[in-house]
Amino acid sequence: MTGWFQGMGEILSALSAGDSWMLSEALRQPAVWPLGLIAMLVAAVAILVVYRVSPWAERSLESTLMVVSYLAIGGIIFVEVFRRFVLSQQVPWSTTLPPFLFLVMTWFGCSYNVKLRTHLAFAEFRTAMPRAGQMACLMLDAVLWVGFSWVVVVTSMRVVVNSASNFQIMLGTDHVMQWWFMISVPLAFTTLVARVLENALTDIGNFRSGDTLVTQAVIGGE
Amino acid sequence: MADSTIITLISIGVTFLFMLGVPVFLVIGYWIIGVSFLIGMPLDNIGAALMHVFTNGFALLAMPLFILTGDLINRSGIARRLSDFAYACLGWIRGGLAMASLGACGLFAAISGSNSATTATIGSMLHPEMVKGGYDERFSAATAAAGGTVGIIIPPSIIFIVYGFLLNLPISDLFVAGIIPGTMMVGSMMLACFLICWRNGWGFLIALSPMRVIKTAIGAWLGFFAIGLVLWGIYTGKFSPTEAAGVTVGFCVIVGFLSLPLHRLMGGAKGRDVSEKRISEMLVVEGFSPLELPSITMRSAQITGILAPLIAVSVVMQQMLSALGAQEVIGGFVTSMGGYHAVLFTSMAIVFICGMVLESLPVTIILAPILAPIAHSVGIEPVQFAVIFLVGASIGFITPPYGLNLYVASGVTGVPYFRLLRYTVPYLVALIAVWVIVALVPGLSTVLLPQR
Repeated sequence: MTGWFQGMGEILSALSAGDSWMLSEALRQPAVWPLGLIAMLVAAVAILVVYRVSPWAERSLESTLMVVSYLAIGGIIFVEVFRRFVLSQQVPWSTTLPPFLFLVMTWFGCSYNVKLRTHLAFAEFRTAMPRAGQMACLMLDAVLWVGFSWVVVVTSMRVVVNSASNFQIMLGTDHVMQWWFMISVPLAFTTLVARVLENALTDIGNFRSGDTLVTQAVIGGE
Repeated sequence: MADSTIITLISIGVTFLFMLGVPVFLVIGYWIIGVSFLIGMPLDNIGAALMHVFTNGFALLAMPLFILTGDLINRSGIARRLSDFAYACLGWIRGGLAMASLGACGLFAAISGSNSATTATIGSMLHPEMVKGGYDERFSAATAAAGGTVGIIIPPSIIFIVYGFLLNLPISDLFVAGIIPGTMMVGSMMLACFLICWRNGWGFLIALSPMRVIKTAIGAWLGFFAIGLVLWGIYTGKFSPTEAAGVTVGFCVIVGFLSLPLHRLMGGAKGRDVSEKRISEMLVVEGFSPLELPSITMRSAQITGILAPLIAVSVVMQQMLSALGAQEVIGGFVTSMGGYHAVLFTSMAIVFICGMVLESLPVTIILAPILAPIAHSVGIEPVQFAVIFLVGASIGFITPPYGLNLYVASGVTGVPYFRLLRYTVPYLVALIAVWVIVALVPGLSTVLLPQR
């Protein structure tokens, strides 16, 4: 087991020093995997607690981020095309910032669709299964989501720290760092895990009380 | 065990997950993780690729924006006007309302870029009226599902954007190439629809009134203007597709905001028939208030939140497949079939079969980079092949067992998924006929391309 936790000290000391270069070196250690899993689950539980305390956050945390970035993308592009045609001027970041906002929107949107259970899936066989089978499928989904999120949180965190330690600046700006936006990927996958846990609790409750477990997801409905 | 055997086992394993109802995103994700371990590729590629797909390009941004235009024209009332116009033109024929809903799908598709938005909008708008008009509800829901396929062939189209983005083809050329095949798809589905309705005697006939046609055409002028704006901007090269999308979004938002007070000022009320309205009343649509904008955007954001992650994870899968050398294997198989037509039809068969089980965006992302170079090597124009490929992918939206449009149609109309299938067959036949014609006649895709 020592192999798994090798380099834990380095990661912790780099974190406490707040040095992105040290951290990017330290994140190459194998300990990043177990530490990443623990950190992700702890953060997800914390988010879940926030959801329980504040119904507004439960309802609108992801959707606010999604709508704001969506309208910002549309607004920036529309205004800049207008300025180019009419005033013959355009700010340099008008083509580099929107893709990063798209990134924010996409992954928080992914998390939001986990909450709604609207990710595309072939649910016909599952719907026909007995209750215990349905419950097993739902738990399987939950475990698979957590596992995939674990991989993404750890690997994307490495990319974020690497970007920060290399001072990658948003093209067309003077001091906006790319990692400010890129960090939304590990964060979004953490909120995704919070949604998975939330759904799992609901499912367990439904299973015990005898309510319907699997309902058909409606995409694009009212 | 040989690597190829293990890869087959991994693929069978994730197919099993798919059958159990695990989301497609995870199915592809776990295939990637499994194969990464097998060939000793670091997992880091996953985190990096899921970010860089979005941050590296401006072109892909057209996708969420063209999804948003769909919801904006729906809520501003423009979509309703387009469907009124289609009904006024076609209501005198047997099955006119069903044909009008196909026509409305075509018009809607020319502003929005999304198949599911097309199906959802036209389905929820016209399904109740079709059921009232004496059509079988299964047929009505199948019509909405089939009509939605043109949503991604008639420009603008999110799947053309993804295809052009991946294969470095000019997206504006792809858009232009989709115009004639998309129109043919609408035409052939209308024919199929007419034959079914005529045999079953469905639908009430309304008299063809030139006044009504003119009035509804005036009512739909904002829609025609938006269609013209997109096509003109892309055709002349004034905007990139992303900018055209941004401009259309801006246009729809401004129209929505301005129409609301104007419509109230003119005393417009919802629910009155066209014949009771004055022409001046038809000039403005109902519109929406700034407070409604977030909820409209949220609907699009939710769809984007399903499709964009799927695009990202499919791109990673495509990278793994190239690392595994799938290009050579599939290329060898396809070219061994013979010359031009053999390669063409083998590719089409592969697209069709994959489209039955997979969602169309992953099919495009995974297969297009493999098949397009092979098609090019036997002399098929890249733009023409794009159209052939994507018409095939769009047919995948209504082929069981997995057809996204069928799910959306079933969701908005309440008709169970399996009951829909029977009435999609005639539409499938019509679409496949158009597909074969488009494949055999390259001019249909290339004749409109601007000579630059």
